[in-house]
Amino acid sequence: MAKRKPSVNTENLTAVQLMELDSCSRCGECVNWCPTYDAAGQDPGLAPRDKILRWREFMNKSYGLRARLFGPKEIPEEDIEKFKDDVYKCTTCGMCATVCESAINTVELWESMRANLVKRGNGPFGKQGAFLKLIGQYKNPYMEDNKNRVNWFPKDVKVEDKAEILYFGGCTAELKQRKLALATARLLNKLGIKFTMLGEDEICCGSALIRTGQYFINDTAKVNAQKNIDNIKAKGAKTVLYACAGCYRASLIDWPRLTGQKLPFKVVHITQFLQELIEKGDIKWEKSIDKKVTYHDPCHLGRHVGVFEPPRAVLKAIPGIELVEMDRIEENQRCCGAGGGVKAGVPDLALGVASTRVEDALATKADLLSSACPFCKRNLSDGRDAIGAKQLEVEDVVVLAAQAMGIDLSDSPE
Amino acid sequence: MDYFAGVSDALRLTFVQVMIMASLSIGIFIIGMYINLKKWGMGSTGYGQQPSGSILAFPTMLAKQMSEHAHVHNQSVLETFVLDILFQRRILRRSPLRWFMHFTIFFGWMALFVLSLAMFAVEMVHLISERLGVHALPEFLYPEVFRELLAVPNDIFSYILLTGIIIAIYRRLFVAKVRESTIAYDSVLLIGLTVITITGFIADGIRTGRFWGFDMPVEWAPPMALFHVVISLLFCIAYIPFSKYIHMIAIPLALLANKGGE
Repeated sequence: MAKRKPSVNTENLTAVQLMELDSCSRCGECVNWCPTYDAAGQDPGLAPRDKILRWREFMNKSYGLRARLFGPKEIPEEDIEKFKDDVYKCTTCGMCATVCESAINTVELWESMRANLVKRGNGPFGKQGAFLKLIGQYKNPYMEDNKNRVNWFPKDVKVEDKAEILYFGGCTAELKQRKLALATARLLNKLGIKFTMLGEDEICCGSALIRTGQYFINDTAKVNAQKNIDNIKAKGAKTVLYACAGCYRASLIDWPRLTGQKLPFKVVHITQFLQELIEKGDIKWEKSIDKKVTYHDPCHLGRHVGVFEPPRAVLKAIPGIELVEMDRIEENQRCCGAGGGVKAGVPDLALGVASTRVEDALATKADLLSSACPFCKRNLSDGRDAIGAKQLEVEDVVVLAAQAMGIDLSDSPE
Repeated sequence: MDYFAGVSDALRLTFVQVMIMASLSIGIFIIGMYINLKKWGMGSTGYGQQPSGSILAFPTMLAKQMSEHAHVHNQSVLETFVLDILFQRRILRRSPLRWFMHFTIFFGWMALFVLSLAMFAVEMVHLISERLGVHALPEFLYPEVFRELLAVPNDIFSYILLTGIIIAIYRRLFVAKVRESTIAYDSVLLIGLTVITITGFIADGIRTGRFWGFDMPVEWAPPMALFHVVISLLFCIAYIPFSKYIHMIAIPLALLANKGGE
C-alpha cells in the first residue's frame, strides 16, 4: 500500500526555521507580551508559543520518527485552516522575538509560514488577497492612478529631475496621508537640500506582499524591488530618504534579500537625516510647538532595525515640545496594530490593538501622540476615534518638525 | 572490571553492562539526531528558496546566517556563546527567578555530566593500564580514589540541580498560569529530570549509608545505581532528539543563528 503523503510541506521555510520550532522552551514570555493575543481576548490560538507548537506537531506528524516508520499522519484540513487564520492574526511586530528566551526569529518564521500556506492554497487572509492584483495593476495597493503620487504637489515644491538624494515617498504618504509627503518635501526644500523623487515610476516597496506571504507569486515583489532600485540608480541617487517605516524596513532588509544584491545606495530614515542636521546646527526653528508629546516607535523602524533614538532627538530639539514616554517604548513598545496585513485582513483586531496603544498614550497625559510612520498614524488615529479620545492629537514627527521650521502645511490635501 | 565495585559479588554491576547500555543510548541519540537533521533539512538554505532535502541543508543555512550582518544586535559568536548560551542572559532579562531556576538546572546538570565523564575516563585509563600491565599510575587515577575525590563536588552540584528542579516543580504545580499551560511535552522533561536526580541521591545514599539511603539495605545499592544509570542514559541521551530535551541542542543553535536574538 502506498504511503500517505504528508499533509504539510516545507516550502518557504528555511532549515534553521525548522530547527527553531524545536528550540521553543514554551516559557510563555511571548504570550505575556503579544498585542494581538491580548486584543483578541487572550485567544489561545493567537499565542506565538501555541503557533510554534502546532507547526512543530504538523512537522512531526509529517516527517518525524513515526512518520518515517509508519508513514505520515494525516492532519485534518480544518486544523490547517484554523492555523492559517491564527498565523494571519499577527501584526509581525516582533515583540515575541524580542522577549523570546530562545532567540527565535519569529517575524521571519510567521512570514515564512504564511508564504508556505499561500503556496499550499490556504492563505492569504480576507482582503489581503487583493494586494497582488492591485499592486500588479496599479503599482500601489490603494487602486490609485500611479501618476497621482506626486502630481498633486503644490507649485512651490521643488523636486529635481536628478539628485544625489532621493525621497522615496511610499504609497501611503503619497496617495493617502499626503500631509507627510508634503511636509517632507517642503522641509527638504527649506533646508536647501536638492532631492529627487521617482514619481509615477515608484512602485510599492513590497512590504504588503512580503508581510502577508505573497512575495514569491510571479516574483512580483522581487521584480518591483529591482525596478525601484534601477529607477533610483537612474536618478543618480546615492542616499534614499524614507518617511515611512514600512518602506524603510522593506528597502533595508527585504530588497537585498529579494534581489540577492547589496543596495547601490544608502538607506536613511528621514529622522536619522534630521538628527544629523540638528547636531550640526543646520536647522533653524521658527516656531514653538507648546505641547506635551509622546512617541510611538513603529515596529518596522524600531524593533526590526533598531532606530529608536533619531525620532526622539528630533522631538527633543523642537522648541516647546515636552517629550513624555509611555511605559512600553523602544524594544518593548506595543504595536499600533496595523502591520502584517492585519489592518486590511482583520480590521477589528487592528482597531483593538490601536485602542490599547492610544490608552498607553493617554496614560502619559500627552496632548499629542507622534510616530514616524504614516501607517501607524492612520491606525492610531482610528484607535483614538474608536475610544473617543478626541483631545489626543496624532501626528508624524516630520510634520511637527516642518511646522516648527515655520512651514505652512495648511494646503495639504487629506 | 567492576563498576560501582565493592558492594557484593552477586549484584556487582559490570562495566560491560553499562557500556552496552551507553552504546545503545548513544546509538538511539544518533539515529534521533539524524532524523531531526533530515527533518530540518527539509527546509531551504536561503529565504524564499526551494526546500533542500539534504542533510547538509541545516549546517549550510546555519553557517550562512551566522556569517550575515544583522541589523540589530550584530554580536560576535563569542559574545553569544558566553553571555547568551552559557550565562543565559535572555532568561535573566525576562525573569530573574526563572533564570535562577534554569541556571541551577543547567549548571548542576552540566557539571554532573562532566564529572561523570571524568569518572568514566579514569575507569577507562585504569582498565587500559591494567591490560597493558602498567601499574605506575598516579594515586588519584585509581577509580576508588578518584570516586572519593568527586564525592564532594558531586554532592554540591547535585544539590544545585535539585534546587532548580524544586523551583520548576513548584512553578508547574502552584503558579496558576504555568500550571494551566503545562502539557505532556513539558511534564515529561521535568518528571524525567526529577526521577534521575532523586534516584542518583538514593543510590549514593544507600551506598554511603547517608540520609538519602533511607536505611535501605546496602545490597540494594547496585540495582539502584544500575537503575539510575540506565534512566540517566535513556532520558539524558537517548530521549533527547524525541522530546523537549532537544531544546538543549536547539536553543544554543537558535542563539548562534540569530546572533543572540533581536
